[in-house]
Amino acid sequence: MTLPVEALFLVDLMSTFAPYLLVTLSLNLEYGYTGVPDFGKTLAVAGGAFLVGYLPGRLLMQLLGVGLGLSYVEHNAEIVTKINEFLRVNVPLSMAVLALTLALAMVVGAALGFLVSHPAIRLREISLAMVFLAAGEALVVIGHNYPELAGGTLGIGVPDVFAWAGEYRFPMVTAFMIAVVVAVFIYLYLLTKSPLGRLLRAVRDDENAALALGKDVTKVRIKVITLASAITALGGALYAIYTGSVIAAAYQKVSWTFWPWVMVILGGTANNVGVVLGTFVFVTVRKLIIFYKDAFAPYVPFDVVWLDMLLLGVALILILLYRPEGLIPEKPIKTVAVRRVTAALKLREPGIKG
Amino acid sequence: MFSSLLSLLSLGLTLTFLTTRIPNFAHGCFATVGIYVALTVHKVFKADIYYGLPLAFLLTGFLALLQYLVVLKPLSRRRASVITLMVATIALELILLAVLNIYADYLARTFKISSRYFQLRGADFQLAGERGLLFVAPSLVAITTLLLHLALTKTKFGVAMRATIENPDLASALGINADLVYKVSWFLAGGLAGLAGGLLPLWFIGNPDTGDYMLVSIFAASVTGGLFSIYGGLFGGFFVGFVEVLGTGKLALSVGTWIIPYRPIIPLLAMVITLLIAPRGITGIMVSRVRFKWIRVWRWTG
Repeated sequence: MTLPVEALFLVDLMSTFAPYLLVTLSLNLEYGYTGVPDFGKTLAVAGGAFLVGYLPGRLLMQLLGVGLGLSYVEHNAEIVTKINEFLRVNVPLSMAVLALTLALAMVVGAALGFLVSHPAIRLREISLAMVFLAAGEALVVIGHNYPELAGGTLGIGVPDVFAWAGEYRFPMVTAFMIAVVVAVFIYLYLLTKSPLGRLLRAVRDDENAALALGKDVTKVRIKVITLASAITALGGALYAIYTGSVIAAAYQKVSWTFWPWVMVILGGTANNVGVVLGTFVFVTVRKLIIFYKDAFAPYVPFDVVWLDMLLLGVALILILLYRPEGLIPEKPIKTVAVRRVTAALKLREPGIKG
Repeated sequence: MFSSLLSLLSLGLTLTFLTTRIPNFAHGCFATVGIYVALTVHKVFKADIYYGLPLAFLLTGFLALLQYLVVLKPLSRRRASVITLMVATIALELILLAVLNIYADYLARTFKISSRYFQLRGADFQLAGERGLLFVAPSLVAITTLLLHLALTKTKFGVAMRATIENPDLASALGINADLVYKVSWFLAGGLAGLAGGLLPLWFIGNPDTGDYMLVSIFAASVTGGLFSIYGGLFGGFFVGFVEVLGTGKLALSVGTWIIPYRPIIPLLAMVITLLIAPRGITGIMVSRVRFKWIRVWRWTG
């Protein structure tokens, strides 16, 4: 690598930030806007990642006629190396596989979300959260014990669809991930600002009022869970493509469900900009601690890994106690009517602010 | 065995949920604190592992009390939602997990003992050719159940506790110190988890994340048993424990041994099925049915 250390750090930071942002933004859509306590983000993340572990390698194996008759899991390293040789020179094929994988990951995520939402939707708060948590754990247990899916305990290598970028492979994937995140952010921003966004808040704040106004609250919840799971699975798939491997043990409830919750609460629920900030602060603090691990080491009498867990826990409690609305609080929606009224008020009495 | 320990854990979880309406995600870590008390007592002080139990009970009890007083009480006074409180307990779990890991490293470095993935099976006493834990754990659960039942029905404080669970505002208006009830239930919950943790390394493998790993099972047990009844915790623990152990055994015989690693899914399935049939858990159904019958009987006779 010819890139300087700082650039590598930035790439590393961004590559963690981007997938997490997809998870936190979708969680914000579910919990922040609609009030669905999804404690099973792991489910969709692992769903997306497992698809990346399962499909593209097998597909390319058939397509390119590499290692036919061999077991994909057992001869994984060998097959993936051969596939990568093809992909390195064939950019259109790489991109087509990438697009197909991501699309299918979203379908898988949506399907998982849809499946879980059905039993879950009849329950409230704590029980609902438990069902989500259970579903996420269950999928990871399956991934851990069923090698065909994601290599079981050993994990599985993934064909590198960015192999053509050579030494700029990691920056390239990161740039791609950021582009995806920006697109998702704009989509969610517009969605939550639209009348539909107001419907979601209505479902969150007063279910009965929304029902009385003729809205099908259950259907809204199911749709939101499905959409959010699709976005989350996209995050999981991108992360798996970036790291180039999938291992079930990496998809723990702490790192893919609890941390995103911390990020959303930190940034401020029901505020997409706040969630971006919260995710960024969280990821940056963690990465900085790891990056400057050696500098910290003499001052702390224990392994620095635990320091960031301690700090995170304490920070989260302090935020909940002293700033429960997060770094950037939820803002009232400025609809056209509201804007007109405030403008009219301003015209009449210049002293009053809208 | 597993059932006994699980029911001790889910009992505490149900207790704190019932009184303060906080689903405690740090509950698993309380058990881990118990595990490390047991390890320290046995390996560092070279004492019998059972001497560690009172210590584990007190230590985790106070830890739970501290957690309630410092973090959760101020939060619930600010009318935080259940989800906010849940996230707060996740934060506490992270802190406890970090502290336990640091402590494990410290033990390993200072006393040169294996503090990760350890097991203390050999530390148990023998009774009639069986290991002591086989007798201790079920009798501990039986004693706890008996004491709890007596305390709840026969003592003044127990009645006050039940009143607070039914209706905190009304109980406070009648002069019951609801806060004291909450403190006691947190202390008890922590203590029971500590006891279970103290016994755990005699049978299972102990590690800083053991409690965290068991957390989902504990929740499954509590939810299956019913989060709205104290006995739900006990019952759920036994039920889920049996379903998990026997279910895995039966499936392994009928389907094949490949099913064994999927064991953690069984309690989750039990929980989801229970929730679908009876959203308030097994004890929830029992209570409503019994009441129904009584009403019918009452109507016939009256």
